[in-house]
Amino acid sequence: MGLRDFFTRHVSKRVNVYRIDDFSVEPPEVVKMPKRVKTVSKKPEVSCKVSRPVNFSVLKEKMTVPAKRVKLKGNSAISKSVRFKKYVKEDIKVHHHSFSKKPDTTRMTKQIQALPQERENILKTMKNRPETAKGEVLLACFGPIVEGSVLKLVLNKQRGTLLVWYKSSSRQLKAKYVYLVRRFGAGGKPEWRWL
Amino acid sequence: MANNTLGYVVIDGSETVIRGAALITDMKGFPVDFVRSEPLRPDQISKILYGESFGKYAKEKLVLESLIDAVESDPQLWICNDSDILTPLRNNSRVKSVLLEESPHVPLDAAGHVEATADPGVFLIQAEPNGNPLRAQFPAGVRPEDVQQTAAILTEAAQTMNVLEPFTRVEKAMTFLATGLR
Repeated sequence: MGLRDFFTRHVSKRVNVYRIDDFSVEPPEVVKMPKRVKTVSKKPEVSCKVSRPVNFSVLKEKMTVPAKRVKLKGNSAISKSVRFKKYVKEDIKVHHHSFSKKPDTTRMTKQIQALPQERENILKTMKNRPETAKGEVLLACFGPIVEGSVLKLVLNKQRGTLLVWYKSSSRQLKAKYVYLVRRFGAGGKPEWRWL
Repeated sequence: MANNTLGYVVIDGSETVIRGAALITDMKGFPVDFVRSEPLRPDQISKILYGESFGKYAKEKLVLESLIDAVESDPQLWICNDSDILTPLRNNSRVKSVLLEESPHVPLDAAGHVEATADPGVFLIQAEPNGNPLRAQFPAGVRPEDVQQTAAILTEAAQTMNVLEPFTRVEKAMTFLATGLR
């Protein structure tokens, strides 16, 4: 800054401004660099081939990979023999525990048809007892029983019940009650009566 | 067979074995169909995983469904004596179901008479003209008309049979078969 500029700036507050139109600066030279970088694996190839991640596998056998000549960027080397375990995939046996297996059923209609029905003595609870002749006493009453379908009646004396077998072919549904009556006097035997 | 039959289901469950049977009878109690399940023996794993609920699960889901599937046709009414299977019985078969027991209650006025009790879903039904009424337990949410229809079915059946007697036969058959299979 010259003396003139000094006075101009401090006295008149003006500064000379120079304009430069010619800006001919050369851009910097760009040099392309190679994108690929040569890499050399130091690992012997065999190590990659044998590694085999296997889930839920089982040990089957052991193998040995013999020594191998490996080239590493012009230099040759001999790798060491590698011992490794060979894993082979196998299906894992899973015991499936089923809780939803329904039991089998067997039809046994004929067998249960052979069982008799059992009728209890209802004499105590009867509202309207049948009338009996003089000299007779009512011992028991069983029912309802479909008389027309009866195959066999057996009195179970130990339990005081009546066992009833029906014919399988009968379709009758008219039920009755059967009474056991005994006459007083000598030689009086129990007698069955239907009502 | 479709409409004039009664179905009886008995499932006998214990810790070691669960077995069941279904009997379909005509209206005089004569068997028209009878199926029984093979004994179901829970193993140790089932007992551990299910605990105390295994018995109920096995009754409802395994044995009962097997029996219902096995019968040739549905009865007009399923009758059981175990509250564990009362509701599943109705749900699985889409047929009315009822749990029947003897009751010590004094006889009601006449056959066909129905009386509600203090227990919800439990009614007294005078099916037979003589004797005590039956204690009938219905599944939750039973409709009054279903109770009346059930009472009518039982009253009609009681004219020709003892409606509780088939349970005795089924239990006898199951006992005999269990003894014979050992």
